[in-house]
Amino acid sequence: MTLLVAYLRELQAAARSGWTRFWFAPADPATLGLVRICTGAMLLYTHLVWSLDLTAFFGPDSWISAEAARAALGGEGGTWDWSPLWWFNSPLALWTFHSAALLIFLAFTLGLASRLTSILAWVFAISYVQRVPGALFGLDQINVMLAMYVMLGNSGSAFSLDRWLASRRHGAPRTPAPPSVSANLAIRLIQVHMCVIYFFAGLSKLQGLTWWSGEAIWGAVANLEYQSLDMTWLAGYPLLVAVLTQVTVYWELTFCVLVWPRLIRPIVLALAIPLHLGIAFGLGMITFGLVMLIGCAAFLEPELVRALLTRPTAQGRGVEPPPPPKHARRGGSNSATAGSARPRT
Amino acid sequence: MANSPITPAIPTPHTWPLRWRRLVSVAIGLHLLAVVCGPLSLPPSLLGLALRDVFRPYLEAAWLDHAYKFFAPDPGPSHLVRYDVELADGNHVLGQFPDRTTQQPRLRYHRHFMLSEWIAAFPPSPDDERPLTWEELPLSPQQSAYVRSYALHLLALHSGRKVTLYLVEHDLPAPQAVEQGLRLDDPSLYRERKLGEFTPEDA
Repeated sequence: MTLLVAYLRELQAAARSGWTRFWFAPADPATLGLVRICTGAMLLYTHLVWSLDLTAFFGPDSWISAEAARAALGGEGGTWDWSPLWWFNSPLALWTFHSAALLIFLAFTLGLASRLTSILAWVFAISYVQRVPGALFGLDQINVMLAMYVMLGNSGSAFSLDRWLASRRHGAPRTPAPPSVSANLAIRLIQVHMCVIYFFAGLSKLQGLTWWSGEAIWGAVANLEYQSLDMTWLAGYPLLVAVLTQVTVYWELTFCVLVWPRLIRPIVLALAIPLHLGIAFGLGMITFGLVMLIGCAAFLEPELVRALLTRPTAQGRGVEPPPPPKHARRGGSNSATAGSARPRT
Repeated sequence: MANSPITPAIPTPHTWPLRWRRLVSVAIGLHLLAVVCGPLSLPPSLLGLALRDVFRPYLEAAWLDHAYKFFAPDPGPSHLVRYDVELADGNHVLGQFPDRTTQQPRLRYHRHFMLSEWIAAFPPSPDDERPLTWEELPLSPQQSAYVRSYALHLLALHSGRKVTLYLVEHDLPAPQAVEQGLRLDDPSLYRERKLGEFTPEDA
């Protein structure tokens, strides 16, 4: 009995400190800054493409009428979905709204007035998707998810016009922003959400016979409506198709576990690249493939992001960030505690 | 200099106060529970649906109600919509969506592709004792609303007096058949059912 009580006490203490380190340790906002830039660029592109069919999808005689969309969203039971685009659809109002959205996405990408534009970017992103259920796919789900989490952190603290303007205003050399809890929180939420996505994407594939038999990848490459790169030569290599199929399933299923240990993480993330670039360039879903990689970028160490994105200068300004305190670094001991913070599967 | 106090290069980072952390921890827990409701409740599960009912306002308002079942359970056939718009002068405009020859860039094509997939995605209503063929499967109310909406859009776009819509299913060929020379666009891989005829009065 004493042993059990001691075990439970130790478990509680470890879970509590692990939870606190995982979610509330301050982190360098570099990774969040990178995710902001990529998410903003994707939102901007996605909505620029909406410009080509703005009235066709959101106007008075749109593909999806308000009545049809309401039927899809909630039927007679009503819905909590919301969008300003429910209330107006005249071309002038639409274009005004759309122009404002594009400007906000641009400012968000550049990191201008980041606190405000990150919130508005999420509001605008959600306004579009809630109006056109039926014209959406995985890209939109990840776009909105990323925008929501980036909004929670101080994403403008790294690689942003905000930082640049502040250093000019104060005449001070550009130094990296100090670690912050909100940057960590935003990145952690993206990481955990990516784990949820991959786990359930893998789990749902286990319902399908072709993912078990190893033929599912053939089903994707033989679909002419998706195809953007002719990969039908795979018909002659069934074993290769089986390997690709089952690596996909097991990679998705185990991502939520294997991505946390520091030494295995690069391998897990490296496998994401061919998988998502295959979807991007083989199945014609370039935006979806890339946005999934943006989600995976949340697992990059801030030090690596700074090394990749910071340009050395003669004065050494803003070149190398001072190393964040040990408890603020992701990976290592933090990663080991991730198990307690992962959602139950 | 050796005795001067050491000034850290960056402010010492502090985490949030305990009360604030507790509050945010509860929010994180509830949020993550909500996030898994979507995938847990499709296909329907008792737990998933019960949780989803609780979190529905949040899931819908934040647009988080997703199942994340990409290409699952199995990659299947794709669907297109073919249309025939009859104009006031008796001429016809024939077309289909998606159409990669006119819908560029690829994201624009994919939006139209999702329109046609949407009306093929609803489960059939198994009212009859005899198993229904694909051509006989009734449209769900949501499908009907969408089909009507597509029709009215096409009528407005072309100023037509009548439009007829067809759902086209494009099946996947077996790899052996492709090895033996079957093309992915072979006519034997397509089947079609009529979705309905619509006039501007249906608005």
